[in-house]
Amino acid sequence: MTPPAYTATPRPEVATDRLSTGKRDWVSVATSADHKAVGKMFIATALTFLAAAITLLVMMRIQLMIPDGTIIRPEIFNRLLSAYGITATLLFAVPLLMGLISYIVPLQIGARGAALPRLNALSYWLYLMGAVTVYASFLYHPSEAGTLALAPLSDDLFSGTHGVDAWAAGFGLVCLGLIAFAISTLTTVRLQRAPGMVWRRVPLFSFAATMISATLIVVGSVMVAAVSMLLIDRNFGGIFFEAGEGGAPLLYEHLSWIFFTGIYVVILLGAFGAISEIFATFSRQPQFGQRTIAGSMAAFAVLGVLAWMQNMYSAPIPIGFLYFAMLMAVSLAVPVGLILFNWLATLRGGSTAMKPPMRFALGAAALITIGLAGEWAQSVIPVSWQVANTGVAWGDTHMALIGSGVLGGFAALHYWFPKITGRYMGTSLSGGSFWLILGGTVLMVIPIQLAGLQGMPVDVYKFYGDTGMSVYNLLGSLGAFALALGIILTMINAASSYNRGARAGHDAWGGSTLEWFALSPPPAHNFDLVPDVRSNEPYRDIREAVRQRSTTLELPGARPEAATAEPAAATVAVQEPAEAQSAPVGSESGPETPAAAVDGDPEPASDAENPSDGDGDGPLA
Amino acid sequence: MLGAFAALPAAALGDGLTPASPASPGTEDTQLAYIVMVALGTLIAVGVVIALIAAARGRGGAETEREAAPRTRGTSGVQRRAGIGLGLLAAAVFVFGIVVTESAREVEPTGADGLTTAQLDIAAPAGDTQPLEIKVSGQQWLWRYEYPDGTFSYYEMVVPVDTAVVLDLESTDVLHRWWVPALTGMFAVAPGSGNQAWFKADEVGTYEGQSTQFSGSSYAAMRAAVRVVEPAEYEAWLTEESQGIQEAQDAVQRAVDDGTAPGVSLG
Repeated sequence: MTPPAYTATPRPEVATDRLSTGKRDWVSVATSADHKAVGKMFIATALTFLAAAITLLVMMRIQLMIPDGTIIRPEIFNRLLSAYGITATLLFAVPLLMGLISYIVPLQIGARGAALPRLNALSYWLYLMGAVTVYASFLYHPSEAGTLALAPLSDDLFSGTHGVDAWAAGFGLVCLGLIAFAISTLTTVRLQRAPGMVWRRVPLFSFAATMISATLIVVGSVMVAAVSMLLIDRNFGGIFFEAGEGGAPLLYEHLSWIFFTGIYVVILLGAFGAISEIFATFSRQPQFGQRTIAGSMAAFAVLGVLAWMQNMYSAPIPIGFLYFAMLMAVSLAVPVGLILFNWLATLRGGSTAMKPPMRFALGAAALITIGLAGEWAQSVIPVSWQVANTGVAWGDTHMALIGSGVLGGFAALHYWFPKITGRYMGTSLSGGSFWLILGGTVLMVIPIQLAGLQGMPVDVYKFYGDTGMSVYNLLGSLGAFALALGIILTMINAASSYNRGARAGHDAWGGSTLEWFALSPPPAHNFDLVPDVRSNEPYRDIREAVRQRSTTLELPGARPEAATAEPAAATVAVQEPAEAQSAPVGSESGPETPAAAVDGDPEPASDAENPSDGDGDGPLA
Repeated sequence: MLGAFAALPAAALGDGLTPASPASPGTEDTQLAYIVMVALGTLIAVGVVIALIAAARGRGGAETEREAAPRTRGTSGVQRRAGIGLGLLAAAVFVFGIVVTESAREVEPTGADGLTTAQLDIAAPAGDTQPLEIKVSGQQWLWRYEYPDGTFSYYEMVVPVDTAVVLDLESTDVLHRWWVPALTGMFAVAPGSGNQAWFKADEVGTYEGQSTQFSGSSYAAMRAAVRVVEPAEYEAWLTEESQGIQEAQDAVQRAVDDGTAPGVSLG
């Protein structure tokens, strides 16, 4: 059969992304409600507060390098301590995740934008205002009431200055930002998915974003209530937490632990989602058990938040409630174990490309595993009676949070950096940064845990020389310095690669999700044409189809509609890279003409043959 | 009680890898729980990390082979088996947790060498083995101990050996957390919400502890000590302490009566 003659004719395109608005770059970013601009602002601000968090950590570890240290006065140490917890989690780890979610999730689900863009932008500004409120208190008298500012210590009787007010008000603003962000993200994922992207095909990072949002709405509201009550108690004669007047000091502890447990869960979920995608991409393997990982993330969110009392085993709570918390905490072994199992199965038999994102993701997975194994050991009540609030518990929490927030966050940053900037992050700094962070964390955590076994409590501004912890604390401080150095290296790397990194194409790593279908960086409207989704790996399907057509020049005559429907495809597709956005397969498979995609697809996606998706009979059945 | 099983692995691990060596039946239980759970957690973590490294070092088949491989992986069968296995592990740990918690909470009767309440001159039949109750009050930034006869002391608690001691913990200001690792786990108190701990010290000696709940500027200095002595020495100490307190109060009262110190005369 004679193949039809093809002539590639240039077609008109709307190129909105290159039009100048006449404003300076930062003005147009700051005034934009585009989910990508908001995402970039989140990421940049979060990295700024990461610098603040490691500064605080290093200052505290300098004070704790030697026994009976007198470098920093106790009040000053307590100010650093009170700022550190909120900075490391709420001003760095979660906003970094929010930035990546804001930027990547609409692209991953094939959306042209966020469903509620102004709410999304508002969430950033609430976060920034809250953060500024907390840090502005350093200009006069910041909070000295500790990581959680637990009542009654944070009541006006014991913390008379307005530092706690600034802390609580800023905290509340950030929490409102979390809630606004969560509503926006949930709505986007609920309403804006590409045609064919049913829930079981939602990429794992986007699914994690959904679970994160659901968690944030619940725990963020709880914390807004808690800090509001605290502010009323402090300023307007309230008695919510004043025992003498019929209030309950433990109520605040419950509420703030619900929140911080939720935040812990959120940071881990973000890492679970990002690592899952990175493992699949860099092992060149399909996701193993995608639906199980998704279900496990949902279960992890629910069980994790319900296990908040795991942090309160020593509090005066009837033992029955503590057994409930223990049941929830111990059960976390099931979802976490399943996620780890599926990660291992995804990697197994693959051919690993040890690129920076993969290296960071593997390190993150290792630290998360070790940290969560420690947390799991502490979920048995008597274990916690001996190690809670000591260096042991501190170590496990830091292991898991540095694993997920820093290494996991940096893995995601390396992975999606080419999408955000169009450039790769440099490889020369990333190796050193990775090993410094990994080695620094281990060197910091293990000795501090050993000090905890000697009786070292958390949050102390000094330790005594007669307690056998001196060497451990010195090693721990050295580890913290290495960790800080490693973090700084990656931040330098990100800053210098932003304008000078090696150029990346639209598909930087050979990923299989839809964000790689968009240009790097994507235009304001993300996609010229939104493709139909027919499997868990929509972009792989597109790539396969392009490969089929560009290698098999002899098109099957048995499919005349397909051949005539896409005259431009075959020729344009050969030069796949940067042009693919405006190219071939998607061009006729938009939402209006789904049938064309089916007919035109030489190798229908696996899903068409195997409608049961992740639950079909696979090799390991 | 269960804690006897902990002795052997604890010896093998050495003191550096476990909390302070237990000196009371309750902490023997917490030690057992610690060793079992840390061993289990370490085993799992090391196993997973090694598997992770091994899996990531894979240089599997050629690109074309892998592309041709089935794209849906992770079937319900294998997931169900893995989930059931993990669920059984969690259930076993939960049951273990309840058993060991109940064992650690159960107050054991005072031993043969200990002090019975009959010796305390409070209303109780001879030979009764009611535990000795001590009121422990956390304040910024010290612990105050009040004994059954009203005598009190600060910083250091003195108790008889081999005697069941129940601590009624309370706080007068902010949150505090009682912890003397060799004798009791940590138990937190809030104003208005008391808590309880118990121990029965096996041996004479001084045991150190520290509050582990951030409580303000001098929190790091909020240490505690328990001095365990023979019952006879305990009673002698109690008499001496109460005489000392009485003398000090008398001196103050005299000064008030004389008008050399401010205050209200009780005379």
